[in-house]
This record gives sequence, structure tokens and C-alpha cells, in this order.
Amino acid sequence: MTKSWFKTTIASVALIAASGAAWAEKANDTLRVGFTKELENVDSYFNSSREGVVLQRAIWDGLIYRDPITNEYSGNLATSWEWIDDLTLEFKLREGVTFHNGEVFNADDVVYTVNFVSKEENGVKTQRNVNWMKSAEKIDDYTVRINLKEAFPAAIEFLSGPVSMYPNEYYAEVGPSGMGLKPVGTGPYKVVSVVPGQHFVLEKNDGYHDSPKGKASITNVDIRTIPDVNTQMAELFSGSLDLIWQVPADQAEKLAQMDQFTVSNESTMRVGYLSMDAAGRSGDTPFTDLRVRRAVNHAINREELVGALLKGKSKVVWTPCFPSQFGCVQDTATEYEYDPEKAKALLAEAGYPDGFTTEFYAYRNREYAEAILSYLNAVGIKADFKYLQYSALRELNMTGDVPLAFLTWGSFSINDASAMVSQFFKHGSLDDARDDQVLADLTIADSATDDATRIEHYGKAIARITDQAFWAPMFSYNTNYVSTKEVEYTPTADEVLRFTTMTWN
Amino acid sequence: MTQTDMTDPLLQEITGPTPGQMLRKRVFGHQGLLIGSIVVGLLLLVAIFAPLLAPHDPYAQSLMTRMNPPVFLGGSWDHPLGTDHLGRDYLSRLIYGARVSLMIGLIAALISGVIGTAMGVAAGYFGGRVDMVVTFLINVRLAMPVVLVALAVVAILGGSLQVVIMVLGFLLWDRFAVVMRASTLQVRGREYVAAARAIGASTPRVILSEIMPNIANNLIVVVTLEMAHAILLEAALSFLGLGVQPPTPSWGLMVSEGKNMMLFEPWMVLIPGAVLFVLVLAINLMGDGLRDVTAPENRS
Repeated sequence: MTKSWFKTTIASVALIAASGAAWAEKANDTLRVGFTKELENVDSYFNSSREGVVLQRAIWDGLIYRDPITNEYSGNLATSWEWIDDLTLEFKLREGVTFHNGEVFNADDVVYTVNFVSKEENGVKTQRNVNWMKSAEKIDDYTVRINLKEAFPAAIEFLSGPVSMYPNEYYAEVGPSGMGLKPVGTGPYKVVSVVPGQHFVLEKNDGYHDSPKGKASITNVDIRTIPDVNTQMAELFSGSLDLIWQVPADQAEKLAQMDQFTVSNESTMRVGYLSMDAAGRSGDTPFTDLRVRRAVNHAINREELVGALLKGKSKVVWTPCFPSQFGCVQDTATEYEYDPEKAKALLAEAGYPDGFTTEFYAYRNREYAEAILSYLNAVGIKADFKYLQYSALRELNMTGDVPLAFLTWGSFSINDASAMVSQFFKHGSLDDARDDQVLADLTIADSATDDATRIEHYGKAIARITDQAFWAPMFSYNTNYVSTKEVEYTPTADEVLRFTTMTWN
Repeated sequence: MTQTDMTDPLLQEITGPTPGQMLRKRVFGHQGLLIGSIVVGLLLLVAIFAPLLAPHDPYAQSLMTRMNPPVFLGGSWDHPLGTDHLGRDYLSRLIYGARVSLMIGLIAALISGVIGTAMGVAAGYFGGRVDMVVTFLINVRLAMPVVLVALAVVAILGGSLQVVIMVLGFLLWDRFAVVMRASTLQVRGREYVAAARAIGASTPRVILSEIMPNIANNLIVVVTLEMAHAILLEAALSFLGLGVQPPTPSWGLMVSEGKNMMLFEPWMVLIPGAVLFVLVLAINLMGDGLRDVTAPENRS
């Protein structure tokens, strides 16, 4: 008994010593990063998580690149592009680019990728990212045309974001699951090894083409999934991680007070909102009454939520989209100031002088949900709180069984209002408003090629949505990035970790 | 003249302390029982008089004063134990949390006590087929991992105070059944049971007025143990987010809410953890003490 205890002690001491020795991987030129969520498949068309986007930007390239700071588009795998008509985009491709496995990049790869992902039966996870494309055709080896199903002015934005180019021969052979295990792209980093969901090792692509993304500086990136924030921080303290992100505001504040870490905060496109069952899909609910929905909007103290809970670069949001998105018109939106008395009066007017009880669903940021719940409680709306996994809540939402929910949407970092407002208000399965006027305006705005028309109709839709208080938009999110002093990194406002712009101090 | 022999045991028994006095002496001489009872009693009072004792509304949120430290870590007397992640008074939430814990402990022990005792006594008294069936049911129940089943049921039905109480009540009857069956087997062959039967007493009467009073001491011990068990399970379920739902104050939920800040504000986990520990320890001490005091071998 004593002996085994002795052995355990020796082993732990050795472990601690070993972890101490692992301090500063700068010497090995290996950046060690912590992920919070398990990534289901590295193949970027077959996951819908933020971690997937991060790996996608490192491993693959799109035809077009959007500068995350200036928001200007430039060619990446394409050198130039041109609208032939409203439904046809022609690209001149970059020559001399090779995939990590040596395959040469040309028009065949673009044609294969576009034709594969745009077919619904191939099961791309987020259909909205790809279902606007009909097909692609090869003009010559380095000229290709993409045909659209209908006019889609946000095409350039999508092509610079979620649509990346895959090697046709390799992808035809291994498919999405093979791609997930041994990803091959043209990107600034190539994949050395993948333990699904757990561990990803990347290595700098020395032969990376002259892309606006820029060449990587750090040679190796070693990513591990560690679900618990406390464990991540402990590993950061012991020196076995160099960079963690999505650190909650309270912990980031404490870490910022310590000398050995750099904490930077950047806004994200994620918007947090309350969704109310205005159409009455969940049965007889008070939220079908406009006065009740306005009361909910008046009951929430958005300033306090942002100032005390979210902190950082979060902002109060009044629109059903992120303010920087094209078409996310701010001045037509109705703003509901925090006024619990007015909320109570509105409830009384609607026939609920003593409030009512409703089910209230949430899937992330339990503490925000609790704070919101407490605001609602204060005006008399008692909530039966249900905290579910995202997938479970989404399913309930689709069947229309959710009277009130705290939800968020990150728009896949697509800087266009169609990625959010059109996702939820076009009578799809997630639409709890089902308003015909909104649908009409969004349909025009989504397919108009003229910017002024788009802005006008998004503005009208936003005016209607906020006037009718279908949602209570509340705030935008921010992300905290914490690294050791040895890592130099300036995060961007789109919540994408870019390993290429990281350097050692 | 013969002198009365004071060492005569028979005489001692006549002139010595009465059974009541002896019991009192045993009770007050048993430190564990005393300490346990005092602590449980105090917490019961706290739970009953929570609205009078709590300095603040346990639901009143104030985001501007989040995570203020307790007094002994440099906080103010306005919030003696600090505030939680939503600026709610920690002391008030602890006080109201005592209600949740004790209520769950008492009601769950009551439900499982009724089920378990009925089954155990029936099995012990009637024997034969009844015993076979009950023993089978006990085995089935023992083969089910309590936490896992509770997690599954709560996940399906949704977490709430009522659901947690019912689930625990219907899961924790096994020890009652086992102990009550054994105790009944011991007393059912005694002369007074036979005598009661001989004068024509009905079966319910024999069970209620002859058997039950003689096995009640064992019952009390199991009640206390199962109460502690239920309180701990509630805390575990709430910690996992499947027990009592916010904003209801529950100690397990408080530990869970403080968990994220454990590295920097360990008091957020330590305070509710310590109170939970003290309550469960006190109940166990009380149960242990009751066993010692009432066990037949300690009576003489």
C-alpha cells in the first residue's frame, strides 16, 4: 500500500517536471492551441462549427479572398472574375498551384467541387452555403464558369468564405470521410495527422502560392480538444498550451491581470436574440399578441447585459442581423428602451396583469439565459427553464414547439444580411413569425443585383420585423483570445483564428 | 437483622434508574448524536424561517455587483458571503437552498420509506411467495445504477423539483426493504406476536401494533441514511444540470455555477460545498447515534 502510494508520488512529480520542461515550444517552432468543442469532421462541407471554419481557412483556399480588415475582395485561387449575366460568373484561375498531395490545381477541380457540393443529395451540412450554385463548367484548363440557380448577389461573399476548392481526383477517391481523416487542400498549412474530434497537427506548406492570405510563419500547429475551460487554463499555466480562445469574459479579465499572458478581445458576428412564437406554432401562446412581444423587448436591459456579462467588444444589437453585414440597415429598426413599467403595462393591456408562465429554452451561455430569465421574471413572465443541446433545441424549433427561446446565430462569418435575416424569416422550418410582408421584401432583396434595391428591401424587412417585435435582438458576442507572451497575434472581427498571421515574439 | 446487600443485582434493578432515564443518559452521553441533531435542527430552523433570516431576495439580480467576494476575503457586510455570477446574494441563496435540500431529503426518504417498509414487512411477515417476489424486486432494483437511472428519467421528463423528488423517492427504497424484511423476520416468531395471534388479532393489527413498534428503531436509522443519500444525489443531479432548474437556489446548482470560476474564485464552490458536507455529515452522525442508542445490546 505504502509502496504504491510512493510510486504514484514519484510518477506525479515526474509528470510535473516533464510538463515544466515542455514550457516554451517556441524552441520547437510548435504552436499548441486548445479547442473547446469536438469537431465532427474536418471536411469543411460536413461540419457546421467554428473550429471547422478555422481549419478550413488554414487547409483550403477559396476562389476569392476577403480581407478581414478592409473587407475588400481579391483573387486567391482565381486571379480575376466577371459576371457574364445575372446567373453566370466566369473565373480566370491561378496557374502553378498544387495541392498538398502534388495534384495540380486547374478548372477540373473547381468543376468537380462545385458540382459535388451543390447537389443536395451529397448532404453538405449547411445547404445555404452551397445551394445557390447550380453547376460549374470548364471553358479551358484555367477558365471556369459557375452557373447560379437564381440571381444571388452575395455569391462573391460566399465564394470567399465557406466555398473552398477540393482536389478532384483525390476527393472522388476518398469522399468526405476520407477527406476528414486525411485532408488535402492548397492552403497555407497541410495536415500531418488527425485524431477525429481530438487532435489535429498541421505543418507549414512551404510551397504555398502567392495568395493574399500570406505565407505562414510558425512551422507546426498542434491543436487539442479540451472541453473544460478550467483545464484549458490549467494547461496554459503549466505551459503545455500556447493559445486558447473563446475564453469567458470573467476568466479572461483575471488572466489579463497576470503578466505572462496576452489577452485580446475582438467582436464576432454572432448575435444573441430571443425568438418568440408569433405565429402560434406551439399552440395557444401569449406571444401571438404584439403587445406581449413588445413587453418582452422592453423588459430586457441590454446595456446591462453587455456591460456586465458579455463585456469586451460586444454591442447592443437592435436588428435581426449583425450591423456590419451588407443590408443590415440600422435606421429602420425600432429600438425598445429598457422600461419594466412599460412592459408591465403592455402585459396588462394584453390581458395578463399578473403575467403568465411559459417554457423558456436555451442551449448556450446558461448564465446569460439566467440573467434574461430574471429580467422577464421582474415584469411577471415566469419561465419554466429548459436547457438543451443545440441539436435537440434546433429539432424542437423546426417542429415549432418552442414558445420562447434564447438563441444565437453567427452567420458563418458571412458579411451579408441574407446569411441571417433570410435564414430565419423566409417561412422556413425555423421561422416562428411567418410574416408574408417580410417574406416578400426578403425575396426581392436576396435576388436583386442592384445594391440600392437590396438595401431598400432589407431595410423594409428589418423595419417590419422589429416593429412587430418578432424577435428581441439583444447583443453581439465577442471572443477572448489568450496566449503566452511569446505568441504575437491580432485577432479579426470574424472569429476565425488565422494561424498564418501568428508569429513568435 | 440482616443488612440489605446493595450489590444484589436484583435490588439494583428495582432501585436503579428507569428505562427512560437510561435512554436520556445514553442520548446525552453520545456526542455524535448530539452534534448531529443540533446541526440538523439548526438547518431545519434556517430552512423554515428562511424568509426571516435571508438578508436579501435570493432571486434579486444585480449584474453590476457580480461575484463580490465574501467578508473574510475582503467583501462588504452588505453581502456577508459575497454575490454569485448574477449578483445575487450568496448567503440568501444558501439559506433558501437549505429548503430545497431538506425538502428533497425528507420527502424522498418518506416516499421510499413507505414503499420499502411495506415491501420489507410484507416479505418478512408472510414469507413464501411474497418473500420471493419482494426479494426479486429488491435484486432488480439493486442491479440498477441509481445515478444513471435518475439521469435518464430526468433527461426525459425534464428537471424540476417535483420530478427530482419523485425519481429519488422511487429509487431509494431498496435499503428500507432489505432492513425491514430482516427485522420483521427476527420478531415475527416472538412470543408476543404469537400471543397476539392467539387472542385473535387481525393481521394488520399484528403488523401495526406488535411488529412495527419493535422494528421502528431500525427504520429511523435507515430514514436518516437515505435522507443524506437523497440530498447528495440531488446535488449531483443539479450539478450536472439535470436536477433543480435555475433560478431555484440549490446547493448543487451553486457548486455547478461556481465551477467555471473555480481557478480564480474558489470560494464560490467551497461555500456551498462545505454547507452540503456539514449537512450530510450531521445527518449521518445522527443516524449513527440513533443506531447506537437504540440498539438492543446497548440497552442494558
